[in-house]
Amino acid sequence: MITIDDLNSFGANTEEGLARCMGKEALYLKLIPKAINDSNFEKLVESVEKGDMTASFEAAHALKGVMGNLSLTPLFDKSSEITELLRKKTDADYKSLTRELLEMRDKLKSLCD
Amino acid sequence: MDNFRKNNGIRRRILIVEDEAVNRDILGWILEEEYEVFYAENGQIAYDMIKEEEQTFSLILLDIMMPEMDGYTLLQLLKKDEKYKYIPVIVLTAEKNAEVKSIKLGAADFIKKPYDMPEVIMARCERIIELYEDQRIIRSTEKDTLTGLYAKNYFYEYIKQIEDIGAGEERDAIVINVEHFSLINELYGHDEGDNVLKDIAKILTDVFADIRTIICRFESDTFCIYCDHQEDYSGRLKSIQARLDELKGSNRIRIRVGINSNDRSEASVATRFDRAKSACDRVRGDYTHNMAYYSNDLLKQAIYNERLINEIEGAIHNGDFVVYYQPKYTISGDKPVLKSAEALIRWKHPEMGMISPGEFIPLFENNGLIQELDSYVWWRAAKQIREWKDKIGKAVPVSVNVSRIDIYNPELEEYLLGLLEKNKINADELMLEITESAYSENADRLLEVVNNLKAKGFKIEMDDFGSGYSSLNMLTAMPIDVLKMDMGFVKNVTKDEKSKRLVELIISIAKYLNLTVVAEGVEEQEQLDILRDMGCDVVQGFYFSKPLPPEEFEELLKKG
Repeated sequence: MITIDDLNSFGANTEEGLARCMGKEALYLKLIPKAINDSNFEKLVESVEKGDMTASFEAAHALKGVMGNLSLTPLFDKSSEITELLRKKTDADYKSLTRELLEMRDKLKSLCD
Repeated sequence: MDNFRKNNGIRRRILIVEDEAVNRDILGWILEEEYEVFYAENGQIAYDMIKEEEQTFSLILLDIMMPEMDGYTLLQLLKKDEKYKYIPVIVLTAEKNAEVKSIKLGAADFIKKPYDMPEVIMARCERIIELYEDQRIIRSTEKDTLTGLYAKNYFYEYIKQIEDIGAGEERDAIVINVEHFSLINELYGHDEGDNVLKDIAKILTDVFADIRTIICRFESDTFCIYCDHQEDYSGRLKSIQARLDELKGSNRIRIRVGINSNDRSEASVATRFDRAKSACDRVRGDYTHNMAYYSNDLLKQAIYNERLINEIEGAIHNGDFVVYYQPKYTISGDKPVLKSAEALIRWKHPEMGMISPGEFIPLFENNGLIQELDSYVWWRAAKQIREWKDKIGKAVPVSVNVSRIDIYNPELEEYLLGLLEKNKINADELMLEITESAYSENADRLLEVVNNLKAKGFKIEMDDFGSGYSSLNMLTAMPIDVLKMDMGFVKNVTKDEKSKRLVELIISIAKYLNLTVVAEGVEEQEQLDILRDMGCDVVQGFYFSKPLPPEEFEELLKKG
């Protein structure tokens, strides 16, 4: 089970995340694994693989919302970056961007185990 | 009473439509303290829930991007459905484009992502629910159910609002009334009457559609319109009448219209429509005009009337009311002899001068103040009779008016008897004139009162006979002593043969019933001659004398 300290060391803004969950730590912490296992991570990887910009945008956008709500700052910043690039359909190296995002996710996941 | 409506009173239901479990959970935790929260993962599931649930949702929180059915599609489905269109929807988005699109589709508000603090979300939801619930109450009460026009109270409130916002613009208040609407109900039934009202509402709405207007069904067959000022309404009225003429079913429907044009006074909204209504009332039953404008003259008249009503007490107290006496001549002998009088009230106003009884009597009859005035006249007349007896040694019977409303005064008899006693005069010296129209209202009560007075020795005169709906039955039922023919008969007696014969007939009926006949309004020798030949007993009118102040009457008496 992940702790607030773990999240802080990850770079999350736990103060804000907790406030959004009405200060209830248990609730907040319960949501972290849900965010980590969000199917949109996989959707993003698949659609980037296929070069489907629209599907990629939708997945990144959804992740951005979830990470933002939990104030998982590094994940939020990265998913925001990807979302904004995709919104403008900018030519970018989405595969490596996605890889960076997944690495962060995995780092957080290891803290949960 | 109010806490039923507050959050704790009823646990309202909120539906959260969002495909991300984390987002759903956070919102759910925030809201479930106050609300019963339901969840749907996409638009389709939400739509099915909304249709299946018996109870309505007080609020829907809606994400835009979702699989199966997105937020826009659900929003569109709900807003075009009469049953669901009034459920408020808060869209969960921070995207500018999404906000614009959602607003156009009918979203009530937004919650952005990442979410605001729980207190903010809570407050937003509460506020939107309250707003929509209030709107729902307004929607269900602001319109008249029959015609769909505004109800009176809302109409006034909306006008106040319009004037607060757009002060200084020229606008008109219009009152429209259906001529003889009760007849339509009587002849064709209430359903048909309702149909006519609905048709009129539709026609008014159409005819005023090209200008800024708000229309209200004020009461039964009265409509009020508030609109941008127009110089001329005749075209619109013609259109309305033309459309009314096209209606099938009932007889021709006529409307009458009163317009209070651009009233710049400080008058309240209600007063401005009262003024339009008074203009409308002026053309009641007038088949040549169906439209009237409220004017300054009408306002002045209303203010003048109000002033007279307010001043009556003081005027009685100050002795501004004076009683004049019109000589009555007995013409049955060789030459006319002054034998009696009719007491007539005059108002000598300290500022406005002499006010004609024609101006204030109808006014006081309407509000019951006439009772005070009548009592005053009786009191003055009784004193006068005594005075002449003492000074000249002659008993001059004086006729006084007894108004319809006096009949209902339980102290009438006592008061009159008191006057006789105080002044030591006989009952047959104070003659009581009761107008013909009093008989039509509450005949039983009238007969009872008159019989009692008669039993005490008072002489009863039937006044204005022939002016209204005269009934021969009344002549035999009422224990009267004197029949006073209405002035109208005397006026025409020299003009046409028919009137002359009618007067002759009335006089012979009166004679047959042993009644004394008095003719009023005699102005010419010719009239006098005809009446005398027909057997009329007593006449009064300008031919002999106008009503006189007591001193002048006294002089006439002395001359014999």
